[in-house]
Amino acid sequence: MKLTNKIFSFSVIIVFLTFGTSSLVKAQLEQLQNICSLYFSPEFISDGQEYFAQLKPDQKVEFRTTFFGENTYRIVACTNLRKGDLVFTVYDTEKNLLFSNSDYEYSPYWDFRFGSTITCIIQVDVKSSKFIPGYVMLLIGYKP
Amino acid sequence: MHKLTNLMYQNSIFRNISVHIIVLFLFTSFLSVSCRNSEEQKRPSVMKEMIKPDTLSMLLKYDNSLFPLPSPYQAAFLIKKHEIPFNENLLNPTENKQKYTTNFKKALNLGVYGTNLSYLNIYERTPQSINYLSTLKKLSDELGLSPAFNASFFADIEKNIGEKDSLLVLLSRTYRKADGYLRESDRGEIGALILTGGWIESLYVLTQLAKVTSNREIINRIGEQKHPLDNVIEVLTPFYYKSTEYSTLVDYFIELAYEFDGIIYSYSYKPPKIDIENKIMFINSESRVIMSEYHLDAISKKVEQIRNMIIE
Repeated sequence: MKLTNKIFSFSVIIVFLTFGTSSLVKAQLEQLQNICSLYFSPEFISDGQEYFAQLKPDQKVEFRTTFFGENTYRIVACTNLRKGDLVFTVYDTEKNLLFSNSDYEYSPYWDFRFGSTITCIIQVDVKSSKFIPGYVMLLIGYKP
Repeated sequence: MHKLTNLMYQNSIFRNISVHIIVLFLFTSFLSVSCRNSEEQKRPSVMKEMIKPDTLSMLLKYDNSLFPLPSPYQAAFLIKKHEIPFNENLLNPTENKQKYTTNFKKALNLGVYGTNLSYLNIYERTPQSINYLSTLKKLSDELGLSPAFNASFFADIEKNIGEKDSLLVLLSRTYRKADGYLRESDRGEIGALILTGGWIESLYVLTQLAKVTSNREIINRIGEQKHPLDNVIEVLTPFYYKSTEYSTLVDYFIELAYEFDGIIYSYSYKPPKIDIENKIMFINSESRVIMSEYHLDAISKKVEQIRNMIIE
């Protein structure tokens, strides 16, 4: 009887921890969406995607994307990380540095005007070895 | 005595279960309230103050890489710029919607119809736009995307149906919301298909227009789809073994990628210039696409084949 009670109690705890955890995570992500949206001006048209990733110490997120010529793009990078500044850096495919927000007070967004179509590598990481892991979110928008 | 012991035992179990259910109910109620309260505090003046750390792992990207695709609506701006006459034959007829009985086809064509809507929008074809909007609504409902494609979205769209740029902003924002919703609800494959459908439809429109107009900028834009195509393949590859539909689609895209291999790309780096005050970086590097008529024709045929497979 005691064992049955214990098993039952354990199961209930697992169920509400799981449910509680996923609700907390969902709330965190919604919060992140709201934060990022603040820097996404209405004149920019979203590319239709939300880019989420989790960052741990010594980890970088990297992706390639093509920016078409004669368009202006906005990259917004935001996070719920603590004790660290989010760094996003843009390189071309030859690894020439085009931009890093670490040179501009870790601004959460920046605009880019492309004269020609360029495929770029965007890298995201955190400027601190003591940060508490969390999520990062990127939004990309354009205006002709 | 034995019955009394059993009864006492059952009462004890019942009390324990009741206590646990009450605790569970109170905990979930607390969570719902706290989530609503966090939404009400939406507009922080200082980002850091409201941030709470989250150490839980939920969403993973493949090897920490993300695979963005360009917005299919950017093709609409390019077409508008060159004042190319409207061609209704480029659209996927809304009547085809009744053929789409699987989530695979529905998701792909939700993307396709979204691109069609952006095409109609630039030519201010309001009655047809409303028809396509209605089709989008039905597909989004069938895919369980009402949290993104909700009543307020359709109301906003109807208000802005004549406003070219506003409609594209609304549409893009909603597709982005749907993308986020699908990832959160662990239906990433549906999101991947929607993006794929939108992208291939925009490429189809560009290839068809390139054939008729031989417009150099449109032809170059086709050639510039090589890396986005690589990302399409990356986005779909995790689902390759999900069904033969997925594997066939991925195989077709790989065949298309082989056609793109014949295109020559040149790139020369030039230092960018910054305007700090306006937070804008001017990227001066230059690129060129050199694509022969043969490759344009081969790519156009392959794109048409893939697109027809999707809409049939």
